[in-house]
Amino acid sequence: MIMAKRIALAQLTSCWGCDQSLVDLHLTLLEVLPQLEIVYWPAVVDYKLKDLEAMPDESIHIGLVEGSCRTKEDVHLLKLMRKKAKILVAWGSCSCYGGVQGLGNQWELKELLERKFLKADTVEDGRIPEEEMPGFTESVVPNTEIVKFDVPFPGCPPTSENTLEALSALLTGKPYDLPEKTVCDQCPKERKEKSITKFKRAHEGHIDPDKCLLDQGYLCLGFATIGMCGAQCPTVNTPCKGCFGPPPGIKDHGAKIISALGAIADMDPEELEKAFPDPIGSFYFTDYGASYLSKIRDKEREEK
Amino acid sequence: MTATSQEPKTATKSKRKKAKGFEPRIVAFCCNWCSYAGADLAGTSRMQMPPNVRIIRVNCTGRIDPSFILDALNQGADGVLISGCHPGDCHYSTGNLKMQARFALLQKMVESAGLEPERIRLQWASAAEGDVFTEGVKTMVETVKRLGPNPAGESD
Ligand code: SF4
Ligand code: SF4
Ligand code: SF4
Ligand code: FES
Repeated sequence: MIMAKRIALAQLTSCWGCDQSLVDLHLTLLEVLPQLEIVYWPAVVDYKLKDLEAMPDESIHIGLVEGSCRTKEDVHLLKLMRKKAKILVAWGSCSCYGGVQGLGNQWELKELLERKFLKADTVEDGRIPEEEMPGFTESVVPNTEIVKFDVPFPGCPPTSENTLEALSALLTGKPYDLPEKTVCDQCPKERKEKSITKFKRAHEGHIDPDKCLLDQGYLCLGFATIGMCGAQCPTVNTPCKGCFGPPPGIKDHGAKIISALGAIADMDPEELEKAFPDPIGSFYFTDYGASYLSKIRDKEREEK
Repeated sequence: MTATSQEPKTATKSKRKKAKGFEPRIVAFCCNWCSYAGADLAGTSRMQMPPNVRIIRVNCTGRIDPSFILDALNQGADGVLISGCHPGDCHYSTGNLKMQARFALLQKMVESAGLEPERIRLQWASAAEGDVFTEGVKTMVETVKRLGPNPAGESD
């Protein structure tokens, strides 16, 4: 019998969807469970931070970190996971790129706190919580910029199949490499030479289910997004929002997207620009924290 | 990312900011067929041009990936100038129109990020327009001087 591998699963600021995707394996989970000795998984079992702190360094074979660092407590847990785990996996797009919460980097922390705790429509007599709080980080950056990771594993969330494949590889000591292909490479829709004269919102017009959504003027980001999910959104006629981030080698998701849009849009520049009232939200759904723009703004903050 | 490791860097950077007579560092992407030749002409005809520009020659402005521009700003360029053939004159027919469309989206993105879109400029200058190229550079240098150093600038 193979020796069980000690595994820890930690959650930072996240929606826990990556965990959900793992447990969605249901009975298939039984294929890998016997090979795992779970030593830390607060999402499922009542472990405390001090349990993890008490473990010897590098005593965990595989550590999975879900979520990104919005609080200083997150940073502590992340560094702790790095110390305790031999192989550290950036689990999901939050961990790899900062996640949806990275979109907050367009504003200052103060503005975000005021918006949420004082100015939101539902708030009465609001106050910004400060007591017994770990404190917030100034911005959300990819975890991979805070500690070194061994395996990037994007997805929001990675599919259950992705998770099984990655875990099986890690358990058998095989390398786990990200594919170079894009969502378009996995998509069954018929494509033609692109020339877009008008962009439509997803609810506008009528979608032809056989044809490429982008060709029909819907912003489908499959061309700039790593192909791991099996093109699950376009397959059901929903444009890809790019939630898995770009393929390896592409430094900036949004830059890649506007580069392609410039080439395929047959529109006046002003018209094109008007079609995207929220370019950052549209082009960096889960990875604004990893963008050049966010890095530049972070450097400005440091300067102040 | 500890506070201590940042201190020396910040100190040098603010020195750069305070230094009188700030001289912006501007990266210019020039297309080979028009603007690069225009810049060359400006040089050979001894037109006066501020020395702040480092020219990178590209085959066509359509070849400039928006990530080059963002990368330059991230590495501390105070401004990025893109200079290509006039619409209709692109050697590859529509490279400059693609650039124009990308530029519109890029500027909007930069603005949404809370940064200064004026640090990026797009202009057209033909091979015969050494003067237009020079004027563009001057305008850019003035604009960037007014904005001050790129706060993301690396000290060197
Ligand atoms: S990557 Fe997506 S699914 Fe996973 S925790 Fe983050 S937001 Fe949730
Ligand atoms: S529908 Fe989307 S994913 Fe499919 S081919 Fe078109 S752009 Fe690519
Ligand atoms: S199709 Fe796009 S948005 Fe949908 S899961 Fe795949 S990567 Fe994410
Ligand atoms: S060749 Fe000059 S812009 Fe295309």
